[in-house]
Amino acid sequence: MSRTILIIDQDMELTEALAVYLERRRFDVHLADSADMALKMINDLDPEIILADPNIPDPDNIAALQQIKSLKPKIQFIIYTLPDTFEKAMELFQSKAFDYIKKPVSSIELDLSLKKAGKWIALEKKIERNSKKIKDLKNAQALFQQLFDEVPCYITVQDKNFRITATNRLFKKDFGHEIGEFCYKIYKHRTTPCTDCPVAATFKDGRRHQTEEVVTSKSGEQYHVLTWTAAIRDEAGQITQVMEMATNITQIRQLQDHLTSLGLMLGSMSHGIKGMLTGLDGGIYLLETGINRQDPKRTHRAFHQIHVMVERIRKMILDILYFTKSRELEYREIELKKMIRSITDIVQPSASHHNIELKVTTPPASVCIEVDPDWFRSAMVNFLENAVDACSSDTTKDKHHILLNIFLKGTDHVCFEITDNGLGMDRETREKMFTLFFSSKGSKGTGLGLFIANHVIRQHGGTIAVESEVKTGSRFEISIPRTRPIKIL
Amino acid sequence: MKKKILIIDDDPAVVDYLTTLFEDNGYAACSAMTAQDGLKRAQKERPDLITLDLELPDEWGPRFYRKLSSDKELKNTPVIVISGLSGNKYAVSKAVASLSKPFDRDELLKIVKENV
Repeated sequence: MSRTILIIDQDMELTEALAVYLERRRFDVHLADSADMALKMINDLDPEIILADPNIPDPDNIAALQQIKSLKPKIQFIIYTLPDTFEKAMELFQSKAFDYIKKPVSSIELDLSLKKAGKWIALEKKIERNSKKIKDLKNAQALFQQLFDEVPCYITVQDKNFRITATNRLFKKDFGHEIGEFCYKIYKHRTTPCTDCPVAATFKDGRRHQTEEVVTSKSGEQYHVLTWTAAIRDEAGQITQVMEMATNITQIRQLQDHLTSLGLMLGSMSHGIKGMLTGLDGGIYLLETGINRQDPKRTHRAFHQIHVMVERIRKMILDILYFTKSRELEYREIELKKMIRSITDIVQPSASHHNIELKVTTPPASVCIEVDPDWFRSAMVNFLENAVDACSSDTTKDKHHILLNIFLKGTDHVCFEITDNGLGMDRETREKMFTLFFSSKGSKGTGLGLFIANHVIRQHGGTIAVESEVKTGSRFEISIPRTRPIKIL
Repeated sequence: MKKKILIIDDDPAVVDYLTTLFEDNGYAACSAMTAQDGLKRAQKERPDLITLDLELPDEWGPRFYRKLSSDKELKNTPVIVISGLSGNKYAVSKAVASLSKPFDRDELLKIVKENV
């Protein structure tokens, strides 16, 4: 492609001669007899080179030339002038002109000057192209960095020794800023690499690997994560690093666990419910025949039976409701003795019915505790009802008793000690009793009671200690803080 | 003489119900809450019919039934399974009937009448 060149000179004869010469040299040549005229042409013409005689005595012409240069800085100026104004021209244009040539113009000088200008223009164009490329790259890099940071996963880049060389924002937020630490140390607080590491597998075969892991954040929380790994290769195709992307699926897992236990619960419960309905049928049968035969003793028995069954069904339904809805504790301050009275009021009737003595001792002073009264009461009732069941199912002793001893432990804890001389538990029962759906009571138990009681006590920041011996009895010590704990995990 | 029915179930409410129901309908009833006790009772009382729950605290119903049928004197005693487990029909295949809780009492009485 030919370069566009604009010649500015008053001497039109000379410019036309130059034009003929330059056109032969394959330039696209245009002429202007003054800088003013050139100024009007440059926008449409957009020349790459201007060859100009500044016509030194004319200040307007010089000013117009300088204006062109500042409007179009990319145009290369070659100034040619008579020898006596040569230095003056240099003074005026300094480095704004690419080259200076003396009149009369020698062809070899002009050729060389134009050649240099051409090279210079090509170079500038190349630089321009490259700097645009660099700018694009920078933008792309910024975009990738942003993507890397904003991805809602934990991303780490690791070397062969599982040292972390880069992390994204979410990772930094939950696991800290350390670079160069070992992956297994940060994620799992281990001192050695994990077995079955997906990163190691990717280093080995270059493929992606997926695992599910449980990791611990810097604040001590456990997360279930689904990890994917991918190889990062150098130009030669060698794997230099591996990227690991871990998605937090804790919520999904929790939901799944909850659903699984719910299913399990409903399954195990249907058997219990059927038993209760049969018992209720029995009560109704007794009631019906009792009324028909006008047998008050039978009718009375019927009422008792129905009462017991309705209580059992009510309790089971409350357990189900507790389980299906995880709720926050609603703390209230309550006087300890008042709380204990409300607990024993519930348990006393069934204890009396089975001829079990319920003895309660409380600290002499008036003490207030901060608990969720409803849930705490239901947990304590659960422990006491278990004691009643343990006593009423025990046939080895003539007299049974349950002792509820409440005392203060230190300045900030209150202890509820429940001792019975009932059946007692073997080691297996003792170890399993707080697990979901474990019941030692056959068709009478749902396996939910102690699980929930245990959960409620733990929610209150409390602890449960158990001692038991078969045929001798059991002792439960439930200890809770007197005031609401600051943080409950 | 009254026909005798042995009730084996660990839920006292169910035992009470069945006992009353059978006695009201002219049968004599006795009961056991465990499989072990049930076998002893059966040997002692020689019942004309047994109702059996499948989930007992000490033993699984079908195993109890095997023990029962290995006793020459007892093996021809008709057994009615009354259980809360679904699909209990197959648990004791030689049972004369399988009812699931909560059961229909007229149906139960009819089956009892046919089998004693």
